[in-house]
This record gives sequence, C-alpha cells and structure tokens, in this order.
Amino acid sequence: MITERLKKVILGELNLDDYYFQDSTTANLVPGWDSLKHIAILASIEKEYGIRFKSLEVIRLKNLGQLQELVARKVEEESERKGE
Amino acid sequence: MMSASFYASYLQAQGIKKGDVCAIIIRHNRDFYPLYMGISALGALPSVLAYPNPRLHPDKFRFGLEGMARRSGLDWVLTEAELEPIVRPLLLRQGSTIGGIFTPMEWGEKMEGVKEQFEHPEVTPNEPCLLQHSSGTTGLQKGVVLSHSAVLEHVKRYGDSVGLGEWDKIVNWLPLYHDMGLIAAFYVPLTAGIPVVQIDPFEWVVAPILLLEALSQEKGTMSWLPNFAYNLLADRVHEEDLETIRLDSVRMIINCSEPVRAESHDKFFRRFSSYGIKREALAACYAMAETTFAATQTAAGTPASEISLDREMLSEGIVRLAKKNDEARICVSSGPPISGCDLRIVDDSGKDIPEGRVGEIAIRSVSLFTEYRNSPDKTAEVLKDGWYFSGDYGFLHRGECYVIGRKKDIIIVAGKNIYPEDIEDAVSQIKGVLPGRVVAFGIEDISTGTEQICVVAETREENEEEKKRLRMVIIEAGMQIDITISRVYLVPPRWLIKSSSGKPSRRENKERALALEI
Repeated sequence: MITERLKKVILGELNLDDYYFQDSTTANLVPGWDSLKHIAILASIEKEYGIRFKSLEVIRLKNLGQLQELVARKVEEESERKGE
Repeated sequence: MMSASFYASYLQAQGIKKGDVCAIIIRHNRDFYPLYMGISALGALPSVLAYPNPRLHPDKFRFGLEGMARRSGLDWVLTEAELEPIVRPLLLRQGSTIGGIFTPMEWGEKMEGVKEQFEHPEVTPNEPCLLQHSSGTTGLQKGVVLSHSAVLEHVKRYGDSVGLGEWDKIVNWLPLYHDMGLIAAFYVPLTAGIPVVQIDPFEWVVAPILLLEALSQEKGTMSWLPNFAYNLLADRVHEEDLETIRLDSVRMIINCSEPVRAESHDKFFRRFSSYGIKREALAACYAMAETTFAATQTAAGTPASEISLDREMLSEGIVRLAKKNDEARICVSSGPPISGCDLRIVDDSGKDIPEGRVGEIAIRSVSLFTEYRNSPDKTAEVLKDGWYFSGDYGFLHRGECYVIGRKKDIIIVAGKNIYPEDIEDAVSQIKGVLPGRVVAFGIEDISTGTEQICVVAETREENEEEKKRLRMVIIEAGMQIDITISRVYLVPPRWLIKSSSGKPSRRENKERALALEI
C-alpha cells in the first residue's frame, strides 16, 4: 500500500497530476520516471522523510511496494536513533 | 585470452566465420569480454548493441533491431536467455539476414568439452574490425565500419595523447555499445595492458557513488564521463557516503560525448576538490564513432582551457572575446587534434573559413571509418576526399577545437544520441494528434547539464481535460521507445511553421514554442 505522502512526493517530482500506484508498480511504467529522474525522486523522498538511502538498498529495489517498505524501515530506524 | 579462445572455437563450430556481423546484446557480465574477443579472433565483426531498458516496448525493440538488421546485415545475434523469445521471431521474417541466435552466457557446461582449437583467418589491416551503431529506434541507425588499422592506429595515438602508461588504471561505468565505453575503456586498456574496472551502467545510474568508490578503492587514475555525469555526481552524492573517499590518484576525468559545459566542471571541482580532485584533472575531448573515437584531446596535466566570448557575436558566427559588459558565453576547449588527425572549419559549401569564425568541423584521420555499412549514399554525404564532415559546429582558437553546436537536429540526452524523427514518428501515430504535424527538439537544462526533450504537436482538441489526457498519452508514447519527453506543447491546426521542404521546421518551431512560455 503506497501512502498518500509518498505518492505526493513522487507525483511532485514527476510533475504529474495523478497516477494509480500499486505495490507492484515498477518505475518503467510511470510516465517520466527514467533513470535520471529516479535519483531525483529518491533525493526528494530523503528530504521529505529526513532519511538517507544506501547505494545497495537503492540498487536492490524492484518496485514501489519495496520502496514504500524501505521508507518505513528507514523512518523507524531514524526515530530509534533519535530516541537513543 | 584462454577463455576467448574457447569462445572462438565454440563459435566457429556454430558456423560463425570471417566477415560475419555478430550483434551482442548482453548486460554487464565478465564473460562479455572473452566473448567479444572470441568473435574478433574469428575475423567476424562484433557489434555491441544496447540491452533494452525495461521501458522499451518489446515490439519497438524488435522493430528497431529488424531495421538495424536490414540496414547493417546482421548475421548472428548473441544475447541473454531472457531476450531470446523477443528476438527469435526475426529469424522467421522473409528476407531476414539473421542466421541464428545464441545465448552464450548459458554455455557453461557446453563449453567444458570444447577444445581450444579454431582456425584463425588471415586478416589484412584494411579489413573491417567492428561495427558501431548510433542510437535510435526507427532503423535510422547507421552502422559505422571501422577497420583493424583504424582501431589499432587510434588506440596507440589516443593513448599517447593522454600520456597513458603502466601507472594507469581506468574506471568505467559507460556502456560498451557507446564508442566512449568501447574504445576508451575497453580497446585502449586492452591493447596497452592497463587494468580497467568496469561498473554496471544500470547500477551506476541509480548509485553514482559507485564510480567514486571504485576510483578511491582501486586508486583509479582515469575515467571518461559525459557532461551530465559531472552534475549528477556533484548534486546527488551524499556527504556521508564520501567519508572514506579519496580521489588523489585521479589524474584525468575526460568530458566527452555531450557539449562540454564550464559550469559542470566548476560544480564538480567545487564539490570534490577537498576529496583530492585536482583542477588539472578536468580534461575534455571531441570524439565520434566515425573517427574511431577521439579527434581532439586536451593535454594531460592541464585543465581544459575556457574562453569567455561575446554571446551575440557568437550567434552570428564570430569568435570575439567578451568585454566587461558583454553578455558572455564561456566555451570549453576540447583540445588540439590528436596525432594522425587534422581539422578544418568549413562553410556550408565545404570551403575553409578563417580562424575566429564558426563553421562545420571537418576531420581527416588515420582512424577514419571505412563506410556506413550498406549505405553508400549516406557515406558519400559525409565523407568527401578523405574528410569527414561531422555536422558539428565549432571553431579553432590557438590551435584548439571548441565545439558549440550541431548542424544536424540530433538531441543528446545524457550522452545518448536521439533522433527527433523517432519521437515525431511515435507521436504522430497517436489518436488526437494530427499526423505529420509534430516536431521534437532538445533544450538545454542547466541543472542536469544535459538536454531535455520537448514535443510540439498539433491537435483539434480544445477541451482542457482531453488535452491533459493527450499530453499523458504523448509522454507514454515516448516511454515505449525509451525516450523521456519532458514538455509537451499542444497547439491548434496550422500552428507549426513549415520549412522549404514542406515539413514542419524544428528550429523555427522551437523558438516559437519556447516563446509561448514567456
């Protein structure tokens, strides 16, 4: 399930009004989402959530559902880190 | 080399022989290199083609490959098992030149029993060595034939021009279907015995830090990058990922295959100077498949020269240094011609024009291509009396070449050449767009250091919601041929200005469309 917050960041970066995202959606299906845009989208997500992706984590991503899971995990890690 | 011999033996047993064209469509893989050399050892012509991006529709890929096979006379396709079902129908097409499809990366067990024994045919220096293809999807790609002599002369002379020595180590993420990847980062180190670190291009583009990690860990000394990569690295790498990075070993980062932008060099230097990048490491070259690779190269140990020119005079073709209050354009040198290469600047009729004027760059080189395969007309258009007319505009200043534009309408996005015809053709077929009433062009995008693609299409549609939908369909049509359209302008019928040939003029309509935004 892709959250509205994540969807908004992606749509903003792609300059799209709307798009029906599913967990199984892959970047190649989304208008404008090419490899150069991919990096810009990830940077926007990092900024929005205050998180940092590692290279390997990014290379392994297969679809939007995995991106959503990664974001959730990173946010949790970040809040645990801050709580310490 | 032993592995290459095994491949040669096995390929010969499959019927591959001297003069055959072998298209290789294989992703980053260590076995690619011995396979390539195995083909070459048989006197066959390897031709590396881009592995299709997932965005590219399989039918479009097949269509493009079919056009290329027809034009270039591909004899064999060597690819991966995943792609085989998409390519196989081409075998059955009437008049197909393709004699067979192989999946060499699956040959592990079959290769075990193979004896390292193959007949190495006699090859003379002027016989073809390899075939390079430009980008494109509509079969417009031209197959550039390079002889053994052209390639061997080039690797030696180009190596000398960058002061290549045993102390060097090349780090490369460029795909090998591109001349910059194939020649600079494969043939040059191979023939000079220099180690090279190859990075998967698909991985690099999502994690650009990989290049810096490899340069740092392996103490790399050289790398070739298209201009956009300088911006990408400077803008998109996190500070914390750089903690262990040192780039002191790097002696040359060579900007090539897109117009070299001064601001990209500045940005890159500002970002990485504290990690060991030296200003003098920022080099540039002017290269194309038709000259094997480089025609010019800036000297090792000195940064690419920059000159500030009067922008208005430059637009009139006059090279004049900018004065204090002039609007200036900073031009970056691509260096003097390399050994064995001569340059002229000519006018539209092919006559020499004096230094200080902008014209078309014509090149004579010991490494010039032989022909565009099976295209004598296309060859004759650009190759005259031993000179190659590049279609690039530039000028010479103090013996160095500055490239500032193109005569042809090709768009270069992130180092990849894109034919506007491919886009116009795809968009023209969309319901709601008036057929043939479409133009595509590139515009400079300073933030990414490359070009963005814009489309202007005529439509009778007036409803705003419908126009929004149509814009989306146009962007999706671009995706199907692996092209990202960044802006779509929908205009009413008869809006586009026609050129003297009766077709909509790209140049004039570009100016007109951009004026809509002001």
